[in-house]
Amino acid sequence: MFGQGLIKGLGITFGHLFEKKITQQYPEERPVLPERFKGSFSLRVPKCIACGLCSNACPNNVIKIESEKDENNKKKLTGYKMMAERCLYCGFCVEACPTKALLWNHNFERAKFFREDVNLDLFNSYVPSPEDEKPAKPEKEEETAKPEKEEETAQAS
Amino acid sequence: MLKTQELTLNMGPQHPSTHGVFRCVLNLDGEYITKVVNHTGYLHRGLEKLAEARTYTQFIPYNGRLDYCSGMMNELAYVMTVEKLMGITEEIPERAQYLRVIMSELQRIASHTIYVASFSLDIAGFTGFMYAFRDRDRALDLIEAASGQRMMPNYMRIGGVAADVDENWFSQLQKLLDDMPASLDEYDGLITGNEIFQARVKNVGIVTREMALDIGFSGPNLRASGVDHDLRRDEPYGIYDRFKFDVPLGEQGDTFDRFVVRIKEMRQSVNIIKQAIKDIPEGPIMAKVPKVIKPPVGEAFHCIENSKGHLGFHIVSDGSTKPYRTRIYSPCFVSLGFFPIVAKGQHLMDAVVTLASIDIVLGEVDR
Repeated sequence: MFGQGLIKGLGITFGHLFEKKITQQYPEERPVLPERFKGSFSLRVPKCIACGLCSNACPNNVIKIESEKDENNKKKLTGYKMMAERCLYCGFCVEACPTKALLWNHNFERAKFFREDVNLDLFNSYVPSPEDEKPAKPEKEEETAKPEKEEETAQAS
Repeated sequence: MLKTQELTLNMGPQHPSTHGVFRCVLNLDGEYITKVVNHTGYLHRGLEKLAEARTYTQFIPYNGRLDYCSGMMNELAYVMTVEKLMGITEEIPERAQYLRVIMSELQRIASHTIYVASFSLDIAGFTGFMYAFRDRDRALDLIEAASGQRMMPNYMRIGGVAADVDENWFSQLQKLLDDMPASLDEYDGLITGNEIFQARVKNVGIVTREMALDIGFSGPNLRASGVDHDLRRDEPYGIYDRFKFDVPLGEQGDTFDRFVVRIKEMRQSVNIIKQAIKDIPEGPIMAKVPKVIKPPVGEAFHCIENSKGHLGFHIVSDGSTKPYRTRIYSPCFVSLGFFPIVAKGQHLMDAVVTLASIDIVLGEVDR
C-alpha cells in the first residue's frame, strides 16, 4: 500500500515526541568538556625554562619566545607570544614541553571582532598562583628521561 | 513548435547542495541539462606543497583538513605511508593497532551519518538530517574525549597513537554501539522506507559496473555499482585481517543503492568495533621511533579504505627530515569526474541528488 512508509516514519517521530530533549541550551547551560579538550593555552611562567622545544615543534611558527641569560648563565623567560591567528590547535607544543609549563585550558569562547585580538601574550597575562611554584613530580622524571631522548636524536641525525 | 533558448546556470560556488565551494556550469534546455562543466579549486590550500616545508610529524594535523568529515582515517593513511617508508610497519604495538581500528571505524560511522544527513537534506527531508546528526555527535564526542578535538583530531602518530583511552571511554563506546543498530533502523524507517524519498532517488544517476570502473570509483560508490572490492578485506592493512565483516553491495548503481550501501556499511562498522573491543590487549601505545624522523632515501605508496573510497599517499624521501614530495590520491576528486557524464540529460532536480549521492567533501577535492 502506498503511504505505508510515510506512516511508519511518522510513527518514529511521534515515538520521540515525549522523550527528554537532547538539545543543549548552550549559553545558559554550559557544555561538559572532556579532560583533553583543546581550548586555549595557559603558561605556568615559573616552570618555563625557555628551551624553545615548543616553538620548534610547531608546524606554523606560532610561538615567539624571548629570553635572556641571568648571572648564573641560566636562561630566563622574558616574553612568550602566541600568534594564535595562525594556530592549528594541533597540540604538538603542549606535547613537547618537558616541564609541563604549557598547558591546554577549557576556554573555548575566543571569537573576537579583530584579527589581532586573537593572539595571546601568555607571559604578560600570567596570573601567579601558588600551585605553579611547587616543583612537580613529573619534572624530575623528565630530567632523568631527557638524556636518553637526546641520545636518540643524536643517533637519528 | 516553440524554440527555447539554452540557459547557462552557475551552480555554486556558494550553493548549499554542492557540499562546499564546488562550482559547476550547467547548460539548461528548459529544465533539462544538456551540458555540465566542473570547476574545482575554490578550496585549494596547496597541502601537497605545505607538506614539503614541514617535517613528517608536523604534517599530521594537516590531514584533518583534507576530508574534514573523516580526519582520523586521513591521518591513518598518512601515518601508515610514513611507517612503510621507514620500514617499521611490523613494530606497531598491538594496543595501538586496535585503537587505530576502533577510531577509524568510529570516524567512518560519523562520516556516513553526515552523508545520510546531508543527502536527506538535499531532497528536503529535514527530519532525517536531525536524527543522523544526533548520532554523529555521539561518535564525535568519543573522538573528542580521546583526542581533544572533534573534527581535526591529530590522534595518530608515526609509530602508534597519541593517547590511551580508559575504561570509562570504553563503556561510553559500548553504549553507543548498543544504541546504534536501533538508530540505523530509525534511518531506514524515516528515510529509506519513505515513498517520496524512493520516488526521488530510485533509477536516478545510474552508474553501471563498467562505467564505475572506467571513471575510477572506489569505496562505497564502487560497491553500490555491484563491484565486490573492499581494501579492508582484499588487501588488509593494519590488523583488518583479524575481523569478520560483510561487504554490502548494491544492485544497479543508482543513487538509492549508494545510499543503502552506506547504511549497511555502518552496521558492519559497529560489528568491527565490537570485535575490536573484545580483543583489545593492554600494553604500550607507541613503538620506539626516533624523535627526529628521517626515513631512508626512497618512496612509498599506501592506500587505505577511507569512508569516501581509496585514500592514498605517495611520499618521496630524500633522506632529510622533510619529504621531497607528497602526493595525495583523493577519492572525492576522482569520483567527481562522473558528474558531467551522468548529469547530461537529467532533470535539474535530479542533478542535485546525483551530486549528493557520491559524498564529496571539497576539502579533499581541492586539497
